[in-house]
Amino acid sequence: MRTPLRDNLADRVTASMERLPQPARGSDRPASRPGLRAPSHVLVSLARGGDEPAFEELMRFHQDRAYLIALRLTGNPHDAQDAVQEAFLNAWRGLPRFRDEADFGTWLTRIVINSCHHQRRRQRPTETFDDTTPVSATPATDLIVEGQQRHRAAQQAISELSLDQRSAFVLHIFAGLTHAEVGRILGISESAAKVRTHRARRAIAATMHEWEES
Amino acid sequence: MTEDNLPCGVPFDEILDQVTDHRPPRDPRHQATCPTCRATLAELGDVWSLIDELAAHPVQAPTHLLHAVMDRIRELSAQPWYAVLTTPQGDTKIAARVVGALARLAAEDVPEVSLALGGGHHSKDQSLAEVAGPSGEAATDVGVSGTHVVVDIDVIADLGTHLPHLADQVRARIHQDIASYTGLTVAEVNVNIVDVLTTERID
Repeated sequence: MRTPLRDNLADRVTASMERLPQPARGSDRPASRPGLRAPSHVLVSLARGGDEPAFEELMRFHQDRAYLIALRLTGNPHDAQDAVQEAFLNAWRGLPRFRDEADFGTWLTRIVINSCHHQRRRQRPTETFDDTTPVSATPATDLIVEGQQRHRAAQQAISELSLDQRSAFVLHIFAGLTHAEVGRILGISESAAKVRTHRARRAIAATMHEWEES
Repeated sequence: MTEDNLPCGVPFDEILDQVTDHRPPRDPRHQATCPTCRATLAELGDVWSLIDELAAHPVQAPTHLLHAVMDRIRELSAQPWYAVLTTPQGDTKIAARVVGALARLAAEDVPEVSLALGGGHHSKDQSLAEVAGPSGEAATDVGVSGTHVVVDIDVIADLGTHLPHLADQVRARIHQDIASYTGLTVAEVNVNIVDVLTTERID
């Protein structure tokens, strides 16, 4: 049943593109993005009307970044999966109220961050899990094990940050967003985003320094 | 490690930014000849390499994640105008119009609210089915999905009331009543204050 739905999606995208106004020049809504099989604003418009394949296509495009952000914010893969699932469901529920002029990715990222915060409140204090594939213990794997230990230490240092600092840091360092974009997502000014990221860096540098010395 | 300035006078944060942002030095000539700067740079570079390694580590969403989300959405979409509470003994469906009516009554319990509209209230030219039913999703002010509800409610306030405070009270009351009467989770309450009335106009 899925294939005919996908074919229909292509038809609906074409029909929708004829109806919808084109994004204004200089708009932050690109007409299309690499990896998306239809312009983002068309898929958003279809999904807002309840089109499940259009929503699925949007989520497929955004899921890796959403999961990366959730993984670094929650510190473990189980919580990250729960947070992303909850965020995508909330996005589906909230789409009718989504204002098109805001960038969809910004809006979705904000929902992911909120889900991570809820996840954290619901669950035990953050416990850092390894997010890498386990390797069997042989002498040849020493380097891999050491690498995993370093990853775990770095993730632990991130998990010890306050939620505000962690959100800004993860968005800037791991999602590669500018301070202006981080500010838009977190609802703060660009300079406030810069300050939070900087304080996070100082705290992490101090924690990692202690870890290396120990 | 976190002193404000290094003994040579260069701010510690300047070196930290250089390492974490992979920027060129602000004063390359000084840095090339200053042992303190170079030692701090080496130490921070070593420490920060752990974060750089983590950032370079490829992360992909598990393949089952999107399937699980879409399965849930398809399940929810099958009954969009009912909230569904699932128990081992069976399902309980609560119509959106019931949630809307509870929200309206909860809002009207706040003393400074003269009248609450929508969410089950309907004008004379609308049938109940259009307010909250299969053909009338857009007409209702309550969105339901599984165990979550979103309420948009229009209220008329008494003149002279602090409106943001009133909206908070309405929101809190709706959250409390819907949770206690239905067991549903209120995801969002949007309060629209559409008019103010004086006591004379109310009479």
